[in-house]
Amino acid sequence: MPSPPTPAAPDPVARPPLEPASFAPLEPWLARELAADAVRIASASLLAGGAVQQNWRLDAEVTGGPRAGTHAWVLRTDAAASLSMSLDRLSEFRCIEAAHRAGVRVAEPIVASDDVALIGRAFAIQALVAGNAQGRRIVRDPALAEFGDALAAEIGRELACIHSVKPAAGTLPFLPVPLHNPSRMAVAEMRKSLDGASEPRPALEYILSWLDANAPEPKAITLVHGDFRTGNYMVDAGHLTAILDWEFCHWGDPREDIGWFIARCWRFGNDDKVAGGISRLASLLDGYNAVADAKVGAAELAYFEVLAAARWATIALLQGDRFIKSGERSLELALTGLMPPEMEWDALDIIERLAGRGRVT
Amino acid sequence: MTTGNHRRLGAEALLDLVHEAFRTEVAAALPPEKRYLAAMMTNAIDIARRELAVEDEALAFELLDPFYDDGDGTLTQLARDIRSGEVSDKTHPDLRARLKAHLANELAVRNPGFLAARGHERRAVKRR
Repeated sequence: MPSPPTPAAPDPVARPPLEPASFAPLEPWLARELAADAVRIASASLLAGGAVQQNWRLDAEVTGGPRAGTHAWVLRTDAAASLSMSLDRLSEFRCIEAAHRAGVRVAEPIVASDDVALIGRAFAIQALVAGNAQGRRIVRDPALAEFGDALAAEIGRELACIHSVKPAAGTLPFLPVPLHNPSRMAVAEMRKSLDGASEPRPALEYILSWLDANAPEPKAITLVHGDFRTGNYMVDAGHLTAILDWEFCHWGDPREDIGWFIARCWRFGNDDKVAGGISRLASLLDGYNAVADAKVGAAELAYFEVLAAARWATIALLQGDRFIKSGERSLELALTGLMPPEMEWDALDIIERLAGRGRVT
Repeated sequence: MTTGNHRRLGAEALLDLVHEAFRTEVAAALPPEKRYLAAMMTNAIDIARRELAVEDEALAFELLDPFYDDGDGTLTQLARDIRSGEVSDKTHPDLRARLKAHLANELAVRNPGFLAARGHERRAVKRR
């Protein structure tokens, strides 16, 4: 798990908004990067969504070189202000490249740069992929009853593929490898974040004490997506087309990702479909265990659901502080800041259930 | 949620009217891309109206009283004491139940639908 976030300061430098003409300086640069004779951006249009960062569709014509032809790409900018736990755009791109090399279904990474001289901000370009990523739309799809189980198994297999990436010399060297139990490290980092938060949360402290006392022996450290949930993958005709949003990628216990995926707060109201609001847990785990070298059983996931709830509660609290303490005037941030009791309630419910079974303290 | 009757033209009555006018006359006329913002605004007004109807300090004291004498404790103190182990399930076997009761009070203001979805009866908020 990455360091829990601290509110980031608002962007100190006001950046001019992007418009279609802003991408002209990319053409000669892209030609060099792609070893092409020339690259022409025929059109650029802002895609819907992306309150924090922008996504632009670029239709490009590449002349010469290995990528000669016409392409539809998505250029993603970095956020003016973000959580300090999130990776910068270039580091995120390196993680996507590593996942792509491992065979994970991601939009093909094309090129990225943090040179602000180009379009005024860091950016990454990936291939355009068909599909819908809106969590609410996916869980309310009338055809979910037909494709939900198969989709969950597909997602499980992809997740296991992500977890096949292990720390090794030269693999994502900018990501720190945890030296101790990653779950306990996550607790310590969340406590540190709470020390600077504006609102005391006794229930969250109780949950963190429980997590500290009950941390399981870690599995072998793997690449962890860090925000693997419904809403962060694309679905087209009932099939997974791409896994998105890698900015919280880190080395950790692979069960973190499964706990995050099944946490009640990410089921979008489909509470009985434990696997991300789309299916039974068994479908997800069947897919996962068919590919993973370290198998995971349902019984070991309750701890990671509690960890997920604590993490989301901490993030929500600090999102609220971006308004309270850092002066970012955003109704969405303020409303998010009111959400911690929801995750705390769910975490206490799980702890209560486990205590009732006498499995843990 | 419109409560209708008010005895005075105070904050509660004004928020009630703003909520109703915004929901019935403004939000419906907004373009689709502003609907999410409008939904957040009506939600925020709802929370503010419910918050006006409760006494925050009374809710905190209800949680703190069993742990500290004579109103000495604060939520910050309790958070610290839970972390240090000074207050735990061992020292207070009803700690978890008390924390949940406090969360239920908070959720009754911030998101009563959350409790309803979990089959938990919404607790009546305390009026001033």
